[in-house]
Amino acid sequence: MKPLVVFVLGLFLAGCGRDGQLHEAKKNTVMVEVTSQVWDYRMPWNPGTVSSGRGAGFIVAGKKIITNAHVVSGARNITVQREADPRRYAATVKHVAHDCDLAMLEVEDPAFFKGTSHLDLGGIPELESVVSVYGFPIGGDRLSVTRGVVSRIDYNAYTHSGRESHLAIQIDAAINPGNSGGPVMQKDKVVGVAFQGFRGDVAQNVGYMIPTPVIRRFLKDVEDGKYDHYVDIAVRWMPLENPAMRKYLNRPNDGRGVVVTDVFSEGSSDGYLQKGDVLLSIDGHAIESDGSVRLEGKPVQLEEIVERKFAGEEVRLEVWREGKAETVQVPLKPADMFSMYEILYEPPPRYVLYGGLVFQPLTANLMAVMAGGADLRLKQKYTMFATDQMYRETPEPVILSAVLPDSSNVYLRGLAGQVVREINGRRIRVLMDVEPALAANGERTVIRFEGDSRPAVLKRAEVDRSTPRIMAQYGISEASRTEVGERRLAKGSFAKEEGK
Amino acid sequence: MRRLILLVGLTLATAGWAAEEDEPQGSVVRVRAAIQPYDQFRPWQKKAPYGLNGTGVVLPGGKVLVTAALVANRTEVGLEKPGSAEKCGAEVEAIDYEANLAVLRPERAEFLKGFKGLALGPALRAGDTAEVWQLERNGELLRNQAEILTVGVGRYPNDEAGFLQYGVRVSLPKRDDSYTLPLIRQGQLVGMVMMYDRDSQEGTAIPGPMIERFLEDAADGKYDGFPTLGVSWTPLRDPNLREEVKAPKSGGILVTRVNPRGTAGRAGLKEGDVILSVDGMKLDEDGNYRDPLYGPTAIGNLVRVRPTVGSKARFLISRDGKEMELMGTYDRRARDEVAIPTLSFDTQPRYLVAGGLVFQQLTGAYLQEWGDKWTERAPQRLVELFTFQQEKRADPDKKVVFLSQVLPAAINLGYQQYSGLVLEKLNGKEIHSLAELAAVLDETKEGNLVFEFMDDPGKLVLDASEVKQRQEEIGKAYGISELRKL
Repeated sequence: MKPLVVFVLGLFLAGCGRDGQLHEAKKNTVMVEVTSQVWDYRMPWNPGTVSSGRGAGFIVAGKKIITNAHVVSGARNITVQREADPRRYAATVKHVAHDCDLAMLEVEDPAFFKGTSHLDLGGIPELESVVSVYGFPIGGDRLSVTRGVVSRIDYNAYTHSGRESHLAIQIDAAINPGNSGGPVMQKDKVVGVAFQGFRGDVAQNVGYMIPTPVIRRFLKDVEDGKYDHYVDIAVRWMPLENPAMRKYLNRPNDGRGVVVTDVFSEGSSDGYLQKGDVLLSIDGHAIESDGSVRLEGKPVQLEEIVERKFAGEEVRLEVWREGKAETVQVPLKPADMFSMYEILYEPPPRYVLYGGLVFQPLTANLMAVMAGGADLRLKQKYTMFATDQMYRETPEPVILSAVLPDSSNVYLRGLAGQVVREINGRRIRVLMDVEPALAANGERTVIRFEGDSRPAVLKRAEVDRSTPRIMAQYGISEASRTEVGERRLAKGSFAKEEGK
Repeated sequence: MRRLILLVGLTLATAGWAAEEDEPQGSVVRVRAAIQPYDQFRPWQKKAPYGLNGTGVVLPGGKVLVTAALVANRTEVGLEKPGSAEKCGAEVEAIDYEANLAVLRPERAEFLKGFKGLALGPALRAGDTAEVWQLERNGELLRNQAEILTVGVGRYPNDEAGFLQYGVRVSLPKRDDSYTLPLIRQGQLVGMVMMYDRDSQEGTAIPGPMIERFLEDAADGKYDGFPTLGVSWTPLRDPNLREEVKAPKSGGILVTRVNPRGTAGRAGLKEGDVILSVDGMKLDEDGNYRDPLYGPTAIGNLVRVRPTVGSKARFLISRDGKEMELMGTYDRRARDEVAIPTLSFDTQPRYLVAGGLVFQQLTGAYLQEWGDKWTERAPQRLVELFTFQQEKRADPDKKVVFLSQVLPAAINLGYQQYSGLVLEKLNGKEIHSLAELAAVLDETKEGNLVFEFMDDPGKLVLDASEVKQRQEEIGKAYGISELRKL
């Protein structure tokens, strides 16, 4: 893993050397100052630490400001300011899309928009063409402009979410903390949003911007008033380059097609595609044997076709199955089986506290704080959760994330980090199962873990006495937080179990 | 500065005192080992050679005792007399990597003629003093005063379960031939130093009783090794847990997993049993028994060092609140009969190359080749199968054959990115060893070879006749003279 860093609150401003563009950019680029709060998954009941930073944004049609999601994540207070106006205006987040690192801000005070117009979105710039980056990077407080050329157009990891890869454009203009969210322009149009780069000790002159297809998709997605996640075809495929493999699948040596090697249960293609299917075309675009298709004359990965679609839309696949060509329409939905790997920003962490034992669902955030201390079983559970389709059994593994020391749990401290299998004989599949299972009758509560660890045994009467004491001691106001806003889980067998 | 002078003075005094003692010749020899481990990632070749030098103890019978680590993966071992440059080759007669001990036999019996050797001394206790002997260049002995800090069960370099060991404090100057050093008390061998940390000046030594057991076992020419119980257990201090498992008022440990092939499993122990005593020795809540010599000592010493393979085992257990006695026989099958062996020294890794696809049989040694962070770096499926072997691969006959890498060639175009894939079937036949894989390959003269793997991409296909045609070419291109080592 290359250390690709997101520059929190960085804005990047580029001048393309043309007066008209600079003039427009100056009018419509804004400084975004944010105070944010980051949840602490070590102590999920705490409101988290407060920090502040600066980024950039730009005004688009409809008096909206576009910036990066990572600029406004966990924001508690946002102000925006323009070059031409010394006043700071309060702004609010209208939409945030962590998966593609974009956000839309609103400013209530109409005075803010006086003297502004808006910037239009362009297309994908040509390789080696010059772009200008506008923003407020470190080194001063006024608008800064840098220039560079388009170095590469390719799929790349979007580090903010920790799980997504989308189209990204690499440019050789330096992108520094403070550039984030700023417009990258060419010929008077926005061709990207500056968002991430490498630390100087890793690579020089490598910065990335979010290209306009991703921005346009975001703008279209929020038209209905809410942002939905990206959709995913949820299959794995391999290139079909080997002649023996082609022969085995009865395919001529025509350099076309990839073979499906895995179909994720409960994903978009579940029930539509099978292992061994050869994908020949997608929405009419021929698929080459390396998995690329031509889109607007440029070779891109076949996923790019799916990337531009929305939940509920379909993708049409020409499939070679058992020696015959068939057409399959796959309705698209988000790949919830991967949601565990997505770093969470907004929702408060969920937990259940019981006699000093803290239960939390397995999330990327929890793994990040447990990292070094997590035992191998937990690490493997996390790494192989999606590929082994463990979500069918346990949509949301529950971890005994900590044991808050108290005289009542001295013998249980070594158990932190274990994966909970059952409580009082009830299988635990999601965090919501924990409280009802703990409430089961009996003098003792028995918590069993995966693997060959000992069980944790607590006396109910003792827990009743210790819980208020522990909460007072550790400053915990709520013994549990199990439901917060939207929670996307792979449902599957759990839902079926419940229905019985 | 003053401290330094003091130290030098002390060393000198020690050396001088040593010279006055009776003739030290005849008790130790230099041992030079040429080491060349196999390359687990390129199993057809060995890694760069290097040398290790230690000080071996001459035993009364004319043999030499060293640590196993000194001679692991050796190509050659030689002995050298301390006072002269006289040399002699040596054979490893018995070796135990877990107990970290080895006995060497000089190729010429007369080489050690005149050496009277060191007899084994009594067991030491914490607080006892001893000496660690080193050899000077000129053959003189350097006797370093050592203090035994602890006596207890701890981890050995190649054994996680733990054996008895001495914690030793000693200030050892830098000298050649110090990879293995003897621990001596009153002219008798009481231990072998196996690890030493120069900063803390503390080390660990293999105690005399371990050496005694090892030598007794090796004496009949057939080495059996130390037995093992084959259980995972947890302490039973928690009163709530005791109540839950209906343990008696005090003592005993809780069994959390039983290997059905192990000593305990074949004696009838089950998960959830509380072991109260073994061979009449009561266990406390932490798994310690009261050793007549060392006081409270971990169960590891009780069940691995006191008994020998084949001796009777007697367990007093409590199952669901009822006490019962179970009888068994000590063995080490829980350790030896496994699908994925932990240790593999001195042996060439097994592999098979077909169409540039390199298949290997999984071992702990392969995983450790990924370095200190092998649990993170090695392919996760392999780590899982090895670490959770008792859950995932309990049948010792089902070895794990995996695709370790692809040597790029035209025949495997499109497959070159794959590695670390566990092979399940070839042409529909389940594969549980490289020999089985070779058999199916050999009987398939033409048509497809359909390899089925546990993980993505699931299947890879090669043409059987083309594989045969290209074998030689691929071997030549990559300089691999043997395409199989089953």
